[in-house]
Amino acid sequence: MALDRLTGENSILFARSEQLFDFARRKSLWYLAFGIACCAIEGLMHASGPRFDFDRMGVFFRASPRQADVMIVAGTVNRKMAETVRRLYDQMPEPKWVVAMGACASTGGPFREYPNVVLGVDEIVPVDVYVPGCPPRPESVQYAFIQLQKKIAEKAKERVDAARG
Amino acid sequence: MLRAADVERLLAGVDSAEVAEERLGVVARVGRAAVADALAALRDAGFESLVDLLGIDTGEHVEVTYHLRSYASGQDLFVKTALPYDGELESVWQVYPSALMPERETAELFGLRLSEHPNPKRLLTTDGVPPLLRKDVPVRTPEEFTR
Amino acid sequence: MSDPRYEIYEAGLIGEGMHTPPVLPAGLRRAPGGVDGLRTEHLVVNMGPQHPSTHGVLRMIVELDGEEVVTAEASIGYLHRGIEKVAEHRRYDALGTLMDRGDYVAGIMGELAAALATEQLLEVEVPPKANWLRSLTSELNRIASHLVWFGTFGLDTGAMGQFLYAMRDREALLDILEAISGQRMMFNYVRPGGVVRDLPPGIDAKIREFVDTFENVYLPEHDALLGGNEIFQSRVKGIGVITREQALAFGLTGPNLRASGVKYDVRVDRPYAAYPELDFEVPVGEAGDAWDRYLVRMEEMRQAARMIRQCIDGMPEGPHMAKVPKLIKPPAGEVYAAVESARGETGVHLVSDGSEHPYRFRYRGPSLFALQALEEILPGHLLADVVMIIGSTDVMMGEIDR
Repeated sequence: MALDRLTGENSILFARSEQLFDFARRKSLWYLAFGIACCAIEGLMHASGPRFDFDRMGVFFRASPRQADVMIVAGTVNRKMAETVRRLYDQMPEPKWVVAMGACASTGGPFREYPNVVLGVDEIVPVDVYVPGCPPRPESVQYAFIQLQKKIAEKAKERVDAARG
Repeated sequence: MLRAADVERLLAGVDSAEVAEERLGVVARVGRAAVADALAALRDAGFESLVDLLGIDTGEHVEVTYHLRSYASGQDLFVKTALPYDGELESVWQVYPSALMPERETAELFGLRLSEHPNPKRLLTTDGVPPLLRKDVPVRTPEEFTR
Repeated sequence: MSDPRYEIYEAGLIGEGMHTPPVLPAGLRRAPGGVDGLRTEHLVVNMGPQHPSTHGVLRMIVELDGEEVVTAEASIGYLHRGIEKVAEHRRYDALGTLMDRGDYVAGIMGELAAALATEQLLEVEVPPKANWLRSLTSELNRIASHLVWFGTFGLDTGAMGQFLYAMRDREALLDILEAISGQRMMFNYVRPGGVVRDLPPGIDAKIREFVDTFENVYLPEHDALLGGNEIFQSRVKGIGVITREQALAFGLTGPNLRASGVKYDVRVDRPYAAYPELDFEVPVGEAGDAWDRYLVRMEEMRQAARMIRQCIDGMPEGPHMAKVPKLIKPPAGEVYAAVESARGETGVHLVSDGSEHPYRFRYRGPSLFALQALEEILPGHLLADVVMIIGSTDVMMGEIDR
């Protein structure tokens, strides 16, 4: 690790546990393999494919919500699906984050006129990052994860500052 | 090429059947009581596959279209029938099993009742959703979907 | 104990002989009445809507006797977003954008179906170059779509590597399609009257290079790695048999129908675009099992590559768009147009009342009918095969729920 070079070998580091945990959380955001619609092809399949290679950012898919940190809502959520989305969110362990990918998950997208479609997934679960586009390119999803990492780092800093008083 | 006269001959035993050649192809219009008989006669005559089943809200009634196909001769045939709103859609799954899901969908989205269907549950939406494809069910207005 | 949770104990789930513990020789543990004496009950297993191998938000409710499927029911509607209703409030040239999001892996074919239906209503003649461009992009998209099927089918069998290889090829294809249409997935390229723009300069060489690599390197690689794998073969051969009669009764189309031995292809039997002028073969299977469906799709990719080369070689000169008014107001009428999409016959049943919006827009998705057939053929298979059979039929939730 790069810290070795800064502090020299066999050194002892003192850090607040919050800072350590947040460092670990930030660098291993595992997302739930849960594709709803078109965005799943771009945001889940291509982003984790060989060209965009999500793994190098420590982002990897998990098939079970119990093991996931991030939920990428990739697609239109309708009234029938809403209950499932909420239940999956409730099943994820804390701390957890939600990325609303694409126009449908953010606002209802091209189908917002249809009464059966939920106008944005933030009516059901709290959203941390919105990704615009229909569908967004895989790079946008990766950028969303970078934003999420920043958000986590800021939260950690706030907490540490609060503890210092 | 399929001619209206051929279909008329096939539907000779079915009462109140009118066959016409339209832009869509050959269209047979039958009364709603005679649909099952007409489809059974057509299936025996070689129209072995139901390609599609759809409803159209014409403003006066719900028009249900059965899209049949014979792969041996490469012909398509459309059978249409009119049902009143909230009317009864009689299942034809015993003649064409592929009607099972489209029938459920049509009944749900046009507000029809299904009869003689083995699984007459809702297919696409949850309970309490109005028949969405009817013309009298409006879509959201821009005021409703902008926040 | 009136609690329903305890009923299974009272009902004697455990066999009669188990109530009186027999005296057994030391070290021996067995059910005295034999395994047949144990009473078992059917178990209902719910797969989905969040399940890694149901290809989207499909929910299968499977009743099991041991490991054997007794009945299966597909519960759909988790992606129902009203394409048919929303289309009634769109103009005719915007129908393609909705079709893109229906079958989102094979968008060009959906757009083409909507455009063909509108052209039938308008009675517009499409210039030859537009037809050739439509065929070219359709075939490029067909390979891209089959690659998604191939990758996920590999995942279903537990071959993770296939998915990565398929995505590698698909990236190369999406680059080409992006250069042609401007978007990676929602192309909106085919419009009523033609296509929206001509090929960009220099794309010919890129397509040729891709087709050469695909035919000579990628496809043999896929064939050897997945199709030539003995484990894969023994897992897919003989399962999920759809007979010819079943295929016809359940309205299957496309590769699923052809794998069952019916030689029907919209491109040949009701030709559209430039297909009458292209030379290609339609692969047909015999047994109708998952292995045949695999073979048919692999051969389709090979034929698509052949067609792409012909399209590039024979591309005519001329305009790529017919004269179509900006605001399309077709005369009243009812038409049906169909194309051979990657999954089967994608049809559009369009009713016009003479206004600028369609009166009724019906999207006939082939996957809905394939899904119905699944309910019929799944009983009798093992639970582990359910995933394989769903994967082999290549169902796409976007066009099932619409």
